[in-house]
Amino acid sequence: MSHLVLDGLTTRFGGFTAVDAMNLSVGRGEFVSLLGPSGCGKTTTLQMIAGFVEVDGGGIRLDGTDLVSVAPNKRGLGIVFQSYALFPHMTVAENIAFGLEMRDVPKADRDRRTLEAMELVGLKGFADRYPRRMSGGQQQRVALARALVIKPALLLLDEPLSNLDAKLREEMQGELRQIQRSIGTTTILVTHDQHEAMALSDRIVLMNQGRIEQIGAPHEVYDRPASAFVASFLGKTNVLAATGDGEGTVTVGGLVMPLPGAGKGPLLLAVRPERLTFAQAGEPGLEARITGRIFQGAHWQFSAESAAGALTLMRGNDGAAVPGEGETVRLRFSAADAAVLPAGAAA
Amino acid sequence: MRRNGPLALIFHGLFVIFMLAPLLIVCVVAFTPEGYLSLPTRGPSLRWFRAIFDYPEFIRAFRDSLWLAALSSTIAIMLAVPAALAIARYRFPGREAITALFMSPLMVPHVVLGIAFLRFFTQIGISGTFVGLVLSHIIVVIPFALRLVLAASYGIDRRIEHAAISLGAGTATVFRRVTLPLILPGVVSGWLLAAINSFDEVTMTVFIASPATVTLPVRMFLYIQDNIDPLIAAVSACLIAMTAILLFALDRLFGLDRLFVGSGKG
Repeated sequence: MSHLVLDGLTTRFGGFTAVDAMNLSVGRGEFVSLLGPSGCGKTTTLQMIAGFVEVDGGGIRLDGTDLVSVAPNKRGLGIVFQSYALFPHMTVAENIAFGLEMRDVPKADRDRRTLEAMELVGLKGFADRYPRRMSGGQQQRVALARALVIKPALLLLDEPLSNLDAKLREEMQGELRQIQRSIGTTTILVTHDQHEAMALSDRIVLMNQGRIEQIGAPHEVYDRPASAFVASFLGKTNVLAATGDGEGTVTVGGLVMPLPGAGKGPLLLAVRPERLTFAQAGEPGLEARITGRIFQGAHWQFSAESAAGALTLMRGNDGAAVPGEGETVRLRFSAADAAVLPAGAAA
Repeated sequence: MRRNGPLALIFHGLFVIFMLAPLLIVCVVAFTPEGYLSLPTRGPSLRWFRAIFDYPEFIRAFRDSLWLAALSSTIAIMLAVPAALAIARYRFPGREAITALFMSPLMVPHVVLGIAFLRFFTQIGISGTFVGLVLSHIIVVIPFALRLVLAASYGIDRRIEHAAISLGAGTATVFRRVTLPLILPGVVSGWLLAAINSFDEVTMTVFIASPATVTLPVRMFLYIQDNIDPLIAAVSACLIAMTAILLFALDRLFGLDRLFVGSGKG
């Protein structure tokens, strides 16, 4: 059964539709990321769930009950903000205990649960510190403990790791995932960082201009982008101009290959740089001239010009000789690695 | 850090002397044993400090002034806090107008305000009362209260309040436990500035005060119209000493930088 359901959720700021008829079902214990460029409506969606932005249409249901009519302070959700939003005039313990205090949890019980929450996020012994005396990572742990200690029905994370430096962010990602797994709280993460979304989520919801572009497991949306937007937003991708004959064969430049399900006429194929390979002698291939070559240690990155458009390709560095700038190569890819994009969609 | 050149040092020195000299001279004159304003030549005397107690009007006026300052600045700050929060957070029609209205007493000369209040209070029958005095002082000090609370309110991250709401706090609780503590430096410094301005106000008050309600500055003003003797210097010296003690205590308790520069992070 779905735990959280967004049903045609819509909101407008003046004449601008920030979130447009959004439908989403989240299972119990699932970790779902809302991913997209800034202004795509992901944070607005989170704020509607939290109750800080008015809903103009559609509904939000949690365990089958309507959430929109519930006051924000009665929703019982845990929220972690990018800016941490800790209470600067309270100690770590007071910050964490705040939600329990609001629930009139008896003092002894409150102290015990606060201590447990601090242990959970690895902040034992920090009870009497003030937030300003702590690093960004530690403050974020306090924010997480403060949100989790009330045993929220839903954990909402609004770009929680964006203010941390790269190394710490990676560390916190692992920890966040592990904590979420261990307590099993259904979690919605808002992020513009695709690596974060892919590393943490069970499913990714890709959003653009207030609409959902695609929902799927991280490897699904990466391998099978449903639109040119998804293909170009997630990682690097090559969009190749091709022509289909309507009978399962496409022509990409000089390369004629079977591609089941491809339509008739001009179409666009999305192929990841790491899925393009050099054709063996005698094999058919898409002719391309190498225009640039960058060595990145573990792999080489080439840029190339072809009849189907400009390309980027990656080759693992296995010690073998690689083509240089100005050389002409022939490229191929397997049908399974090409996603057909809707015709007319521009990247 | 770059050191100041000799010219700059001379300038700064002269500036400080220019600011402090009048205060210092008043204090020294207060200790004169003579019956006229003079620098003590025959050694210090407490004659004029003792003389203050022969004029109970001064003591009463001082007490009235304290009450007036405390009451008017407290009421002003109670008006300023909700006004500042609304102005800092919401875009509503008339927002600019309300801000301008609250700040307008700063623009209007106090002489004009004094005459206006005199006429108005006579009209509504509270002329010469303490209530009238409090009302007029609230209006004069509210710009100071509002300015400082407003500065503090603009600095609040609303997500801190959202966090409190999400944890189950209702509107009143959020204000009491989160918002108010966050703007407290602005509230305290706004209150202080308002109180000082109320205590100090003479231009307007001289029009409104009646013999039954005379504030200390007005009493001093009236006194020197008839007498020029070191009594007034002694009263001034007492005020300077009290102010210095108050500021010292506040600095020890809260830190003056925090109160007036208004850094919530402290």
